[in-house]
Amino acid sequence: MFRKLKGPVIFLLMFLDVQVIVGSTPICVHGHTGCQTLSLADLFDRVIQHSARVHGLSSDLHSEYEQYFLPSKNKISKINRNCHTSYILTPNGKENAQRLAGEDLTGVILKLLLAWRDPLSQFHRSMAQHEDFTSFSGNKALEMSDMMHLLGMISNSVRGLISNEALGPQASSSEARPMNDQQLLYCFRRDSNKIQIYLKILKCRIAPEQGC
Amino acid sequence: MVLLTPYPTQSPASMAKGSVLLWRRTYGRLTPILLLLLLSGRPEGTSVGPPGKPRLISCRSPEKETFTCQWEPGSSGGLATQHALYYHTENSEKVFECPDYETAGENSCFFNKTYTSIWVSYNITVVARNALGNSCSDSIDVDVMNIVQPHHPENVTVTLEDGDNPYLQVKWEKPHRVDTRSGWVTLSYELCVKREKDNKSELHFAGQQKHFRIFRPIPGEVYVVKVRCKPDHGYWSEWSSPAFMKVPDYIPREKSMWILMAVFTSFILLILAWALVLKKSSVKHFFLPPVPGPKIKGFDSHLLKKGKSEEIFSVLISQGFPPTSDGEDLLVEYLEVSEGLQQDPAPTALPEAQEQQRDRSPAPIADSGQGSSVHHTLQVKSGEESGTRSVKQTPAFSGPLVTSSSSSQAPKPDGKANTISSSSSSSRPSCVQGTLYVAEVLIEGLPPATEQDRQVTPAGVSPCNSPVDSDYTQDESGLSGNRGTAQRPDVSPSAFKPTEYVEVQNVNQEDRLILRPKAKEDIGDLWQVGLRGQEYSKVSELINNHLLLLERGSTSAGPSYGATEGPVEGRAQQQPAKPTLQQGLNGYVDTGSMLAPY
Repeated sequence: MFRKLKGPVIFLLMFLDVQVIVGSTPICVHGHTGCQTLSLADLFDRVIQHSARVHGLSSDLHSEYEQYFLPSKNKISKINRNCHTSYILTPNGKENAQRLAGEDLTGVILKLLLAWRDPLSQFHRSMAQHEDFTSFSGNKALEMSDMMHLLGMISNSVRGLISNEALGPQASSSEARPMNDQQLLYCFRRDSNKIQIYLKILKCRIAPEQGC
Repeated sequence: MVLLTPYPTQSPASMAKGSVLLWRRTYGRLTPILLLLLLSGRPEGTSVGPPGKPRLISCRSPEKETFTCQWEPGSSGGLATQHALYYHTENSEKVFECPDYETAGENSCFFNKTYTSIWVSYNITVVARNALGNSCSDSIDVDVMNIVQPHHPENVTVTLEDGDNPYLQVKWEKPHRVDTRSGWVTLSYELCVKREKDNKSELHFAGQQKHFRIFRPIPGEVYVVKVRCKPDHGYWSEWSSPAFMKVPDYIPREKSMWILMAVFTSFILLILAWALVLKKSSVKHFFLPPVPGPKIKGFDSHLLKKGKSEEIFSVLISQGFPPTSDGEDLLVEYLEVSEGLQQDPAPTALPEAQEQQRDRSPAPIADSGQGSSVHHTLQVKSGEESGTRSVKQTPAFSGPLVTSSSSSQAPKPDGKANTISSSSSSSRPSCVQGTLYVAEVLIEGLPPATEQDRQVTPAGVSPCNSPVDSDYTQDESGLSGNRGTAQRPDVSPSAFKPTEYVEVQNVNQEDRLILRPKAKEDIGDLWQVGLRGQEYSKVSELINNHLLLLERGSTSAGPSYGATEGPVEGRAQQQPAKPTLQQGLNGYVDTGSMLAPY
């Protein structure tokens, strides 16, 4: 089941990166020579599709985890719902999200993406080592490691896109609170949904051609 | 809970006393009844107590901006119970009560926009409270992002679009409160299409579009269409109210066109078949040409079928095989009839000569060889002294040898007319065809004039037939043997007609010569030919009944005399021995006669 994470993380990387390599020619937004141009709406659509897929996968992961590892319902209700990304101020409603400027909204998205790079890799490592996960094949562990690697690469490149002020305070990896897997999955599911909704709002605000 | 007091307590007020007394009386009688009722009405056996545990049914958000929770109350416990919903958000222990119990109906709590936060986990609990106690329901954790269930789509319409490909166009609108324009909620739609006559329904996923086409609607059917929607990660809505569409009865154009074409093609095929039947024989001849049958003259295939071989062969034979040809091997024979100049005992000896001739006449040699000649003698007996008429007949050179004996008729007292008859005895063989005889009849009685004065009249000759009168007759009017011309013998030389010739055209089956008159030009040619190419001998006179005096005659040359000895027939063998005689002659010498008969 963790195999599914590979896809979503790669997609996360994709919409972090402005330039997406498709085939032999890269895709540019501004129409540079040698690039295959995509309209902004198309680009947004691609990204939104990826994020939707990510969220779907994360939901499946979460439900499977609960089913497999935590059959008792009582435990769930008592889990602390503090995600490590709680420090990021995210709009909790439609009006709040619409009130945010485009740049701010984009910053929020990026922050979220960046915040999840390390926990995911951590989770991947723990998944391989944990005795409960020995039923998973070695391939899935390999996919997870690839996914983490890609996520790390993109987070480094994204760091240059936005100014440090917009990013705000970041939690370093050493300060990251240890999360159990269930909580991690729960938080990831929520955050992936946030990313998806924020992207949609951005798209309908910037390029409202289709699907808005 | 009911408090029972067996005895009324003493009250200071007299009124209270009275009411208590009254109360006591009524309840005193009713109490056991009530107790019984209560006990019977509660099979659990429990008495009135705290309320039963309520149960949260569901919390739903129609547009991800508000949400409503509903619960099911438990047993009331016999007393009036109130329910209250309490919630607290994650990370906060502060408990809030439901802000709105009425909007969503009974046993529900409505959270409006102010109180709704997305991506926040709500912990909701319902408490039922009555006089005796309260009861809490199980808590549930709700995140609004997960509980979105929109209302059903609105304004579902179905229209029929006509054209070459008719289809049903279904259109609908989003549920009115959902905000899809800002991208907050993304809805996907689904159709349920069902034909009224059919119990099966089809589900069609329509994506995010708000229209759908149903192709190839069945004419005469009623279509029932329902639509529902679903957010990205949420629950399906209820089905919308169905929309009905009756498809009118009509045959699609392409079908009717096919039918028309089929009818047309069958019509054409019918006509072709009829024409074929009419022209059956010619078509058959075209494709299967008939094998040509044997082309044998006289061959009758019917006889062959009958199987009578004798008839077939007889038919084949009797057709005159070997085929005769007209005009081939023409035998031109000139028959000269000359008038005797001297008194000669010939007339008297004629019969003898004739007899001799007849006797001596061997079997007439008939052959078809070239160069053989035919001898003919025609003698005319004339009993008159005026003269004898002798008919000399010289056959053409290239004819077969035919001999004939002539018989003379009894001299008539009138010597003027004589019939020249040339008869063929029965002993004589059949005539050879292809001989042409031209008879010149010289009329006697003329003064002894030169030969130029001799007038000849053509005479028909029928050497083969005994009664030959039919072919030629010389009646008293004239000596003419042919049909065409009748020359009147005239004494005066000037009255004599020029020589006319007859041509033997054919010898028919009865050994009769069929003559036809020869034109003068032809005759002239003949003469010339005869003179150059053929030599004819003219019998001038008969001597001693066995000697023919031949004279070579020509148009220019005068007669010359030559004598030939012996009868003509007998001479046949001797003829080659006397070439000089012939050459010396100036008359007609038939070289053919000189040749030995073969």
